[in-house]
Amino acid sequence: MKPRRLLNSLGGRIVTLFLGLLLAVQGAGFFAIRQSIDANARAQLADQLAVGGRLLDRLLDQNAQQLAQAATLLAADYGFREAVLSDDAETIRSALDNHGARIGASVVALLGLDYSLRAAGGQGAAALAPLRERLAAAGPAARPPAKGQLALVDGRPFQFVVVPMKAPLEIGWVVMGFAVDQTLGDDLRALSGLHLALLAVPPVGAPRVALSTLPVTAGAALAALPAQGLAEFEHGGETLESRVDTLADTPAGALRAVLARSVDEAVAPYRRLQALLLVITVFGAGVFAVGSVLTARRVTRPLQALVHASRRLGQGDFDTPVAGDGTRDDELGELAQAFDGMREVTQRRLYLDDLTGLPNRGQFARRLAQAIEAGPAAVVMLDLDRIKQVNDQLGYQMGNRLLVCVGDRLRRLPLADGAVVARLSGDEFALMLPGADRAEAERAADAVLVVLEQPVRLDDSVVDVAGGIGIACAPEHAASAEALLSRAEVAMYEAKHRRAGRLSYQAEFDSGSATTLTLLGEMRRALQQGELRLFVQPKLHLLDAGLVGAEALVRWQHPERGLVPPLQFIPFAEETGFIHELTLWVVDEAARLLARWQGEGLLPRLSVNLSVHDLMKADLVERIDTRLQRHGVPAQALCLEITESAIMNDPERALQTLRALKGLGCKLSIDDFGTGYSSYATLRNLPVDELKIDMSFVKAMEKVPKDAMIVRSIIEVAHNLELSVVAEGVENGAIWQQLAALGCDEAQGWHIARPLPAAEFEAWARSHRAAPAQTAPALPALHTA
Amino acid sequence: MLAAGGLAHATAVQVLVTGSSGQSLTDAVVMFEPAGGAKPAIKPPTQVEIAQQGRRFVPLVTVVPVGTKVQFPNQDTVRHHVYSFSPAKKFELKLYVGKPESPIEFDKPGIVVLGCNIHDTMVGWVVVADTPWFAKTQAGGRALLADLPPGAYTLRTWHPDLPAGMPAAEQAVTVGAAAAEFTARVNVAAK
Repeated sequence: MKPRRLLNSLGGRIVTLFLGLLLAVQGAGFFAIRQSIDANARAQLADQLAVGGRLLDRLLDQNAQQLAQAATLLAADYGFREAVLSDDAETIRSALDNHGARIGASVVALLGLDYSLRAAGGQGAAALAPLRERLAAAGPAARPPAKGQLALVDGRPFQFVVVPMKAPLEIGWVVMGFAVDQTLGDDLRALSGLHLALLAVPPVGAPRVALSTLPVTAGAALAALPAQGLAEFEHGGETLESRVDTLADTPAGALRAVLARSVDEAVAPYRRLQALLLVITVFGAGVFAVGSVLTARRVTRPLQALVHASRRLGQGDFDTPVAGDGTRDDELGELAQAFDGMREVTQRRLYLDDLTGLPNRGQFARRLAQAIEAGPAAVVMLDLDRIKQVNDQLGYQMGNRLLVCVGDRLRRLPLADGAVVARLSGDEFALMLPGADRAEAERAADAVLVVLEQPVRLDDSVVDVAGGIGIACAPEHAASAEALLSRAEVAMYEAKHRRAGRLSYQAEFDSGSATTLTLLGEMRRALQQGELRLFVQPKLHLLDAGLVGAEALVRWQHPERGLVPPLQFIPFAEETGFIHELTLWVVDEAARLLARWQGEGLLPRLSVNLSVHDLMKADLVERIDTRLQRHGVPAQALCLEITESAIMNDPERALQTLRALKGLGCKLSIDDFGTGYSSYATLRNLPVDELKIDMSFVKAMEKVPKDAMIVRSIIEVAHNLELSVVAEGVENGAIWQQLAALGCDEAQGWHIARPLPAAEFEAWARSHRAAPAQTAPALPALHTA
Repeated sequence: MLAAGGLAHATAVQVLVTGSSGQSLTDAVVMFEPAGGAKPAIKPPTQVEIAQQGRRFVPLVTVVPVGTKVQFPNQDTVRHHVYSFSPAKKFELKLYVGKPESPIEFDKPGIVVLGCNIHDTMVGWVVVADTPWFAKTQAGGRALLADLPPGAYTLRTWHPDLPAGMPAAEQAVTVGAAAAEFTARVNVAAK
């Protein structure tokens, strides 16, 4: 099978379509999900940053609380109080330093109740000024906020807590400042996964990174961020989303907190999801592709098998069953079954005869050939008599039923295994007996005859069945199936002819005067090889002996036997129906001759005999017309002679044909009038132009008065019906005279001329034209007008 | 002895101390300091005790003249660590029960706030007066001075609820021969 482009094959189209759809759907879904993921991740990121901001606040608060607690505890320490409330400035300072160091405070100071600075330890006392101012500004009754305060000290972020010093009542405030260190960032990152950077923004100059969980290289990007809100920045090949808040804003500078998260990081789990989705998509597409290829195959393979099967059927192979194991019960299975059913029906029609259900000729021949190969075999061939009569009298349905009945009877014969009963054609049946010899075949034939003895009952009618049987055996009589069949047929026809019941083939049947298949073959050959000749017998007008017409007769010039007498082949031709081909040949030849002779004015008309077979042929008129036209002969120049019996065989049909022929323009003549079946009633309706008196009457009329009377009657009837009349078989001048006296119109017979070969006739016609009186030998004196 | 007045005259004076809302104040300390700055001789009392009872200083406010030696008996079963960081007297009595060996002498005028190191809520006051004429108001906000020589005085009024560091309220008064009642108003909000 030639390879197809993908889109040309059904399978390819199925796969392409579904795969395309799947990929489109998956692709659309994939991108939609991707978009959604991105948007979602960013929204989540903003949320996370907001939460991070709150978390930072809380962490700072917690820090402050812890610091405040530590500071409170420290401030309540007796030793500390004792030292700090001593009058010794150094002691105070060192106590502040010492105890500050205990809890990691870099700045420790003692403030009065009015927030004035009493003493300070650690560093950055200067930074306290703004803080103190703020506290003082809040008013004497206000207490310092519990929250820590963020402030920048030397550009570094510090968290300050202010706790009361009680001794035992509040006598002042202790301020402690703790540097905000990396721990804050680390804690925040550990808790939330966000990056933290604190930026110290001096009043003048660029922001500086005071603390960052991001690497140092991010410094520039961080510094470039806006003072407040959400922003994106790039670092280390990543995109980070950030949120900036101002934690403290003092004249010494502002402190900004930057929370950041890698967008990629945030999106990463979703990316993983996407990757998984992609893998699933690809995998799914792969599985689907495989699945759809397999499915497509499931569909197209059986279809291909069916295509093969169709091809096989087309090539005449009806024996191989159509593909399909019969287990599929879906549409394809149904199709395969339907195909197979079709195949079987066709097979059956090929092998079996419709009417009887018996094997047909083809099958019979095949089986016969098989049997012959295996050994001896015999053929018993039966031809039924008078089937045609049954058809005519009781109708075709009855005829068929008769055949079916015969078929059944034959089928029920007790024959050996492997025997075949077949209907070869029309009314021919045959038995094939493998391994049988002549004796066995003859016994079988006898059995057939016995079975046929019983008449057949068809409704109200009882029909006698009879036939002739021919037997031929291999290898005795022939070596091939075809030869054996033809030998059996020969024997059968001989049996029919002799009414001999059953006959085994003998070589003599082929030669001689018997009606044989070979004769038919020879006749065909004669037709093809031009062994047939047209002889012409002239007809003269009785009054002036003018050549008014002639009858064309077919003769056979056999290469071996010489001129075959018409009686030896014409009846056989009529029996076998070959007569029709003969007739058409005669018409064609007659037309050819007419064309030549008419042109010369030699012969006005030529008559051709039509047989009963010809009359029954539907295409007769057409074929005659074709031949006339081929030779350019007018229909009026052709006369067709038909016997009464032929017409009476099927008067209606004959009438139809005759009318058609008349319509063509041909002249019609009733041959052999007075013999055979006839009725005046029919004669009245026939569109004929002339009657030909049968020669038996004409020949006898000289001696036998009754015949003369009959002739006279015929002439009168004819004339009364306005038909011309021709007398056949005019053998002498006396009869001529007699006929002339009776008023007969034309004469034909040996007295004038015997049938002559065409060339001779032409010569005769020419000399006759020249001297009519002298051409016909012993012609009596004519009336000369 | 005042030069102006004679032993013969000693006036009984009553002082009513009220807060900023006019409420009478208990435990307020009134001190009559002679105007002119003369300081009469003071004979400090001998048996002044500030006990610790039920984790409280009893009495809450004690007024003593300068030079008084005060005992601090601990009548609780728990020990107390009494201290003061007031500039007028810094001292501490480390964890003891019963009576400490030595009394504490208050030799400087001023307000001394007492506390206990292990009981943050214990607080007491010792007002060391620079004048023999002082009194503490009772419930009702009245303080009575029996023999106050007539003359001009600066009446200084102090209450523990005054914010720390705030000076006592001062007013000039004149004590006549007759018994008198003075009202002193201190800036103490009603509780």
